[in-house]
Amino acid sequence: MNDADHGTFVTELAFGRGMRMPNDDGGRPVILIAERDRNVRELQLFFLNRAGFVVEFADDGQCAIDRVRLDAPALLITEILIPKIDGLTLCRLVRNDAARGHVPVIVFSLLAAAARANDAGAAAFLRKPLVESTFLAAINGVMMNANAVMDAP
Amino acid sequence: MTTPAISPPPSLPSTTDRRVHVREPVVDTTERLTSGNREADYILGGGFPANSINIIMGHPGSGKTIFAEQLIFENAGDDRPILYFTTLSEPLAKVVRYLQGFQFFDEGKLGTQVIFEDVGSELAKSGPEALIPMLRQAITTLSPKVIVIDSFKAVHDLAPSVADRRRMVYEMTALLTAYGTTAFLLGEYTEEDILLYPEFAVADGIVEMSRRRLGNRDERYFRVYKLRGSRYLEGAHAFRITSAGLDIYPRLVSPRIPEGYEPASERVSTGVTGLDAMLDGGVWRGTTTLLAGPSGAGKTTIGLQFALEGARQGEPSLYMNFQENPSQLMRTIRNLGVDPVEAQAQGLDLVYASPVELQIDSIIVDMFRRIQQRHVRRLVIDALGDLASAATDPQRLHDYLYALVQHFAVSGITSILNFETAGNTIAGSGMQNPMSYLSDNVVLLTVDGEEQTRRAIRILKTRGSAHDRRVREVEISAAGLAVLE
Repeated sequence: MNDADHGTFVTELAFGRGMRMPNDDGGRPVILIAERDRNVRELQLFFLNRAGFVVEFADDGQCAIDRVRLDAPALLITEILIPKIDGLTLCRLVRNDAARGHVPVIVFSLLAAAARANDAGAAAFLRKPLVESTFLAAINGVMMNANAVMDAP
Repeated sequence: MTTPAISPPPSLPSTTDRRVHVREPVVDTTERLTSGNREADYILGGGFPANSINIIMGHPGSGKTIFAEQLIFENAGDDRPILYFTTLSEPLAKVVRYLQGFQFFDEGKLGTQVIFEDVGSELAKSGPEALIPMLRQAITTLSPKVIVIDSFKAVHDLAPSVADRRRMVYEMTALLTAYGTTAFLLGEYTEEDILLYPEFAVADGIVEMSRRRLGNRDERYFRVYKLRGSRYLEGAHAFRITSAGLDIYPRLVSPRIPEGYEPASERVSTGVTGLDAMLDGGVWRGTTTLLAGPSGAGKTTIGLQFALEGARQGEPSLYMNFQENPSQLMRTIRNLGVDPVEAQAQGLDLVYASPVELQIDSIIVDMFRRIQQRHVRRLVIDALGDLASAATDPQRLHDYLYALVQHFAVSGITSILNFETAGNTIAGSGMQNPMSYLSDNVVLLTVDGEEQTRRAIRILKTRGSAHDRRVREVEISAAGLAVLE
């Protein structure tokens, strides 16, 4: 399966960045984001790029799980309200995936669903709207945690 | 205005006296942004919901910009800055020049915590759609926690077509909703615009400032039209503009009857010889007595005797007077054989308010402040007609009086409300119906006689008393008014 055929990976052009292949950026961590709102995407892309991350977007839950299985991102951020597979189901699918269960998931949603996100195995929950400082703090916290777990003997 | 925003209006719960507040504080979990104005926050149910889009509407000079400026300076801090876009209605230089006259202005916050930006010329050159990239850039470079656009209507009016306007508003809303910021769109909108302009459909909150000319004075009102997820206080709340910003008087609404509340079971002496006996031993504590009668019948005399009797018994008494200036009133008290200075030391509070200068809201807020501060137990309003002339809307006055009487009952304040009639009857004077209905007791004074003045008193109604039903003659002497045997 290649990305062009798949057709669901999104190229986000709002800030002039094109589509990227997985981990093609000299080892900079890739964050996969399942999100439909154009304005949210633009802000996520801008703030995460500035913080040194590579960002990819998925339009729906199916597209996101396919992408995770293709090549593990450093982190998955998902809205709950996305088509095909909802964000919480997506989170469970990742958690239960034999090869990709280590990929941390942050649920970032309009819904006040911290408990449900926790039940689904999310590493963190953030409520919209986006505030740069809390958004980046949550991401850094989760990624640091994930690295610590992976480095553990 | 000497003490704005220091003493709370009656509706705010006070730590010293919780009896005179009108409703429970709103309990909700919505994160809120203070308006920087305690009374406005109270009306808004705690402030504006954080991350909301709000419209502050009103005619030029209605106080929108001052309200917004107070809000930004009170919210400015070391965290994320506040961004104030001025557009095409007023140049930045003008906004900042007048801003400096207000107490909340803090030059030290300008440029770092509060950032003013004039985007008028860019909008005039590139059109209203230029606002969106400017906002996006501001968000990504400044991370503002509050964004004010003053005036947004002016931006909107630049758009060449309805479709362009809708698109611009839609784009802006989508951007502001995605990002965690609280936005305020100011504009010279009218009530009709609410149905026409798309920004009203997307707004989470709508606050209106209005001004009404009334003879030589202006009345200003603050009103919340809409505030999603909030239990706000409905109706028009009067305000004044002072150097401290907006001084708002939240509308008086009926008190919650506290649990376990029981009407007082104690009689209070009127201080008028013979009248207590007519009333079956005085009036019940916490009741309101309407004292009606034509000019010269003795209403003020009875009111003063009632207040002075309270002071004598160690009950703080408030005499709200709209007719006689303080020195006249002092003389009247002296004529009753009482030293007014001594009476004041005992707890008599004489207040003179000119209804020409004040509106009913500020009179009542002042009254409640005094009631709270002095723990007032007796109160006389002389006279209701003056309060009526200070009110512009009969329904509003009626609501006020109803709420007042309820507050007095709950707080155990015994009151006399003087009411001047055109003749010896209470009928036909317009206000008698609601007031008779609201009052616990109604007492009528009459004046007759051609060669010699003959005054009389009659009790028309009491609640819970076997009152004297006869017309009794009264006499006013140096000792005051007395019911004759």
